[in-house]
Amino acid sequence: MRSISVGRGFSVFGLVGVCLALSVSIHAETAPTPTFEADILPLFKARCFKCHGEKKRRADLDLRTIEAVLNGGENGRAIVPGASKDSLLFELIVSEEMPPKEPLAADEIALVRRWIDSGARSVTQQDDSAGQVTEHDILPIFQNRCVICHGKRRQEGDLDLRTRESILRGGKSGPAIVLGKPDEGLLIKRVLAGDMPPVDQQLNLSVRPVTKGEIEEIKEWIKNGAPESPSSYYEIVRGPDRLVTEEDRKFWFFQPPRQPPVPTVKHAELVSNPIDAFLLEKLETVELSYSPQADRATLLRRLTFDLTGLPPTPYEVDDFLRDDSPHAYEKAVRRLLASPRYGERWGAYWLDAAGYADSEGKRSADPFRPQSWRYRDYVVRSFNRDQTYDEFLVEQIAGDELVDYKGRKELNQHEIEKIVATGFLRQAPDGTGSGPVNFLPERWEVISDELEVLCTTVMATTITCAKCHSHKYDPIPQRDYYSLASVFRSALDPHDWFPPTRRYLDLTTPEERRAREEVNRQIDQRIAKLEEALEKVAAPLREKLLAERVAAIPESIRDDVRRAVTKPAPERDEVQKYLAKKFAEVFEIKNENLAEKYPEFKEAADKNSQKLQAAAGERLKRPQIRALFELGGEPSPAYILSRGNPLLPGRLVEPKPLAVFSDPAHPYTVEKPWGHDGATGRRLAFAKWLTRPNHPATARVIVNRLWHHHFGRGIVETLGNFGHTGSPPTHPKLLDWLAVEFEARGQSLKEFHRLIVSSTAYRQRSLLTSEHELRDPKNELLSRMRLRRLDAESIRDSILEVAGRLDATRFGPAAPVEIRDDNVVASETERGGRRSIYIQHRRLRMLTMLDTFDRPQFSPNCLSRRQSIVVSQALALMNGEVVRRNARHFAQRVIAAVGDDVERQVDSAYKLALSRAPGDDERELAVRTIQTLRDDWLAELVAAIGTGDAAGTEPENNGHEAALRALTSVCHTLFNSAEFVFID
Amino acid sequence: MTSASYSQAHLEQLGRRDFFGRMSSGVPAIALASLLARDEVALGKESHEAVSNHEDLSERSPHFPGKAKAVIQLFMNGGPSQMDLFDPKPELDRLHGKPGPARIKADLSSPHNARGLLRSPFKFAKHGESGQDISDVLPHLHKHADDIAIIRSMKAKHFNHEPALYLIHSGKTQPGLPTIGAWSVYALGTVNQNLPAYVVLDDPNGLPVNGTQSWQPGYLPPIFQGTRLRATGTPILNLRPSKAIPEGVVETERALLRKFDRRHLNQRPLEKELSARMASYELAARMQLSATDALDLSQESEKTREEYGLNAKDDMASYGRRCLMARRLVERGVRYVQIFIEGQIWDSHSTLEKGLRRAARKTDQPVSALLTDLKRRGLWDDVLVVWNGEFGRLPVAELAKGADISMAGRDHGPSAFSLWMAGAGIKGGTVYGATDEIGHRSVENVVSVHDFHATVLHLLGLNHRDVFYTQPTQRRDRLTDEFPTRVVKEILV
Repeated sequence: MRSISVGRGFSVFGLVGVCLALSVSIHAETAPTPTFEADILPLFKARCFKCHGEKKRRADLDLRTIEAVLNGGENGRAIVPGASKDSLLFELIVSEEMPPKEPLAADEIALVRRWIDSGARSVTQQDDSAGQVTEHDILPIFQNRCVICHGKRRQEGDLDLRTRESILRGGKSGPAIVLGKPDEGLLIKRVLAGDMPPVDQQLNLSVRPVTKGEIEEIKEWIKNGAPESPSSYYEIVRGPDRLVTEEDRKFWFFQPPRQPPVPTVKHAELVSNPIDAFLLEKLETVELSYSPQADRATLLRRLTFDLTGLPPTPYEVDDFLRDDSPHAYEKAVRRLLASPRYGERWGAYWLDAAGYADSEGKRSADPFRPQSWRYRDYVVRSFNRDQTYDEFLVEQIAGDELVDYKGRKELNQHEIEKIVATGFLRQAPDGTGSGPVNFLPERWEVISDELEVLCTTVMATTITCAKCHSHKYDPIPQRDYYSLASVFRSALDPHDWFPPTRRYLDLTTPEERRAREEVNRQIDQRIAKLEEALEKVAAPLREKLLAERVAAIPESIRDDVRRAVTKPAPERDEVQKYLAKKFAEVFEIKNENLAEKYPEFKEAADKNSQKLQAAAGERLKRPQIRALFELGGEPSPAYILSRGNPLLPGRLVEPKPLAVFSDPAHPYTVEKPWGHDGATGRRLAFAKWLTRPNHPATARVIVNRLWHHHFGRGIVETLGNFGHTGSPPTHPKLLDWLAVEFEARGQSLKEFHRLIVSSTAYRQRSLLTSEHELRDPKNELLSRMRLRRLDAESIRDSILEVAGRLDATRFGPAAPVEIRDDNVVASETERGGRRSIYIQHRRLRMLTMLDTFDRPQFSPNCLSRRQSIVVSQALALMNGEVVRRNARHFAQRVIAAVGDDVERQVDSAYKLALSRAPGDDERELAVRTIQTLRDDWLAELVAAIGTGDAAGTEPENNGHEAALRALTSVCHTLFNSAEFVFID
Repeated sequence: MTSASYSQAHLEQLGRRDFFGRMSSGVPAIALASLLARDEVALGKESHEAVSNHEDLSERSPHFPGKAKAVIQLFMNGGPSQMDLFDPKPELDRLHGKPGPARIKADLSSPHNARGLLRSPFKFAKHGESGQDISDVLPHLHKHADDIAIIRSMKAKHFNHEPALYLIHSGKTQPGLPTIGAWSVYALGTVNQNLPAYVVLDDPNGLPVNGTQSWQPGYLPPIFQGTRLRATGTPILNLRPSKAIPEGVVETERALLRKFDRRHLNQRPLEKELSARMASYELAARMQLSATDALDLSQESEKTREEYGLNAKDDMASYGRRCLMARRLVERGVRYVQIFIEGQIWDSHSTLEKGLRRAARKTDQPVSALLTDLKRRGLWDDVLVVWNGEFGRLPVAELAKGADISMAGRDHGPSAFSLWMAGAGIKGGTVYGATDEIGHRSVENVVSVHDFHATVLHLLGLNHRDVFYTQPTQRRDRLTDEFPTRVVKEILV
């Protein structure tokens, strides 16, 4: 509520206002002027104190004293004495929004109105400054409209409008304001004249003009002597927290986890580790137990897909089946966790949570993010080296504050990685790269998406609703949204905004620099040689052309001209100067001139220029890091934005994490990590606060998500929301046991995987029985393993792997995609196709295959993929060119391995695709199919000799080709089979 | 009396149901119910509730002979403005610029920009013999005034798009529930097994708000999900193999796959996803033959193409294509077709007049052509056409402080909206229900979203209470899970 003397246009509420005014005016004749103590306080006490009193202070509004009422709440001023129509409190009362369930009676509403309109009198009120416009009502106006040129980075005219002091100091042209005389200062004059902000630069600077209401408010402030905000203003922010109470914290998720004792169960023989005891305890209450263990081939296939996203090789299967030692399974687990494919699989889950993309999105141009891949590689490497989770989080949230990189251009690889890690909060869709959509609302969209990524991913908390109003279900006041945003304001400052193209840090290691310089030196040598070679052709021709041109100069001055031109410029006399200038063009022979005149030269030059361009293109550029980094200096002050609107700033807030997770024993303490202004330490302090031992959210959230990926369903099903509106945990004790255990075992993810996959629960078979359907229909109790379709990436990668066409190249810039037949497909080289994680993921050019199998477009992120079954998936596998082509590779691979024996071919194909040997019925069916098709193909090929489709004129070639095509059909069918895409 | 007093033989004679029936105490009711339920499962399908759950798309009889065999739903994303299209409010002309009543406050999603009452920039006139009120922004629809029945008293529950869209599609304001299209094909199956039963023609420019959630099957088996057909390029990606492969080979591969998958399913007989997947492959095979034909618009006459706006230079052509495709699809037995529009062209927060003209330009002519065409081809009595959005708009202006009045729009209005239906079983020229004098709230013969759903199901020959899905817990879930729900018989013939 900030409008003072400006009306609200035709207010929606005016009509009621008019009626009330009529009825009130009748009373006004007789009734004495109401006062706070006599008339309002009893009403507030009866109807409002419950939420705006001592115990609770919703919206940070305290209605117990006149001072507190005048101070207002988190949305700014509650009442404007003398103007009920501009008073938020009155607006909420008259619209019957407050009190929420039972509105005030008409005469009560009239009384409040009369009280406000008659000046909000109080018998005790001494200080008539309460409720007036003060500095924090005004500073946000300058912040929104002016500080881009008169603030942190620029002080045009030596004027800085960020603080009351700097405003009073004025600029080069004199005082900006004259206290008490609103019309006299330069500031108001220039704004009123329309000079500021300058009309022609508003779009470039992404600012909008000052509104009439804002001007009136500034004038009011100046008139009153530019008062500071009273000390009580800060008390609400700095004093004891009344918005989040102990009562609020009683909900399970806001209490730190405590490790419960492991329960005892009837069937102790089924308990492989404590996980099983917790699960069995519940199963036994409904008279269920675990399903029998899956057979070993199934188990290895499940485990291999689970840990690496790819099928086991036939060799690995045989090896495992042969190994009858009790440690065979354990050995397989160890091998798979050590595989570099592990990080590609589990890193991908994290990238979903971060909302990783290789483009900005938001606009149809979908600008490319050329350096995004470095963050992807960081994540894969972190998983592979089993970086501890707390360190992983700290680096991603504040890696730049761990390394004092400012002032150093070179860092070691280890330090660079920490900065790359901050790409985590650079993944949100971002439209601010384009001038017309780089205003405050668009910047706030980006900030709010990044906060959503952060909070859903690491705290399973939904905060975005608190952007506009306090959370309706969880104890997250609006204040906390903006306090959290303020933690990140040292890097994501809407008033000091770095658009996408400027978010790069130029940091490198000496090794990289040397290697790059060496490569470039060689390229430069190549370039020099090319230029030299061309010069050899050019030199005689140039001589020839020069001779011709000189011959065209009148003979009388020819020698003078020549002398003038060849003489060094400073030594020329006046005449020579004139001649040299006049005939300069004659003597200047460019390669274009030669190319015009001599076709032989043109040909040589064209060829050369292609080579030159190619060579120049190979020069390596300085690597850049797309990072989230400290902007330097003091971040702009942060205000609560009423209804999320940047133009309606409310109360000032301080950087702080969510109060509901705070712990007095581990306060959020900000210290400058480098001791200078290069970094504030706000995010680093947050990262430490988040990773403190026994945080209510951090460990619970990650163990639940890992659980979800292993079992297909989280203990809390809503992975990103553990609050009141999320689903309750199916096994609360297990969740807490796991969370505490995770920290106790040193936050190692690999250790955690080992724990889960070695449970009896994980090793059950997946067969669904009618008993299950009845008693555990959703498998919430884990009475069996869940039959699961592979995710999009695993389907594509497995097809390539089985076909022997998976290009094992890891890391590096995103592999390109191309559009073929309306499909977006990944380009393949002679080495095959890259794993899906390395393919370019542009938001508006998603790989069709991945899109079809439910890889979502992140906006901003995705914690749990949907699994649909639709006809487009069948069509993609049946008719898609990529699948068909790889089926042929698959068949070639089989033939190369086992030769022409059809039975052995079938056995080999089954092993490769399904990790098992075919049953006799299956073998017979496949063999029969191959034989029939082979004969048909042979007839077809022989008939086609001479038409272009024949494999060759040699009958033997046709025989090979027919056999290959027949086997291809079986391989293609295996790719399509349910068993290939569903894992037991 | 305890069980000990019966001999084992006696027990068997009695039968367990009898036995439990005679017991008056001693066994907790819950245990009893669960034992009984297990018995029913053991007895096989016939006495088991789950028999009412459909798992496939074979054609099923309706509960009674329905008028409509198919539905084309023209979904108008964003909340079309009732007082500017179908619900004239002369009071708004009179009160233009005056403050609106305070009760509007509760419906505002952007309260800071709420201004006074705003008259419609369009003129209304009576059309057809029935004298149907339609504003001049939809000129093509005027000639169908006697064909359509307008409900002016619809009521939504939420002023945000996402929840309101969930409500209008699936009956509740939350995601994850089956949509009305999914329910329709769940209950009735489909005539043409070679085309998807439930087709979604979404806008090539992009998905609507809530994306594919708008045609999802929720807890119904995945086979009842809407299938997106693309309106440009090949209608269905990968409809045919990219390289020619002899039909005999393709057929052999299909037969082989069927055997593989059947074997796999037999080992896991209760996994619904596996049977759904097999069905999707069967459908894919049949679609190769029939979808190409169904969606080949070049088979249409130049006159028809012109009528649908296919020759237009702007995006009317794309909308027209989808309307024409919809006709070809219902003609071939597709049960439920939904046409979506990218984003929210009816979401007139600002520049009301310009915005509505643009939305009308895109849709009015194709929609009218569709109605004409359905009649001409004798489909009128078999196909129900539904035109609706998720909510309406407010009578007050939405305008930033200090902005020019030409920028004025209207905020979301959940308390009233208009929709119309036409074709099978609909009494054309009808107007049903009324809003208050400024069009803010539905006040007379209010129709809830559930009533609307019940009416559509009724036209398909379904008692809405009898369309349900039995959860494994034996709870029956419905589209119209709210009391009281009624069929709006007043607009039916």
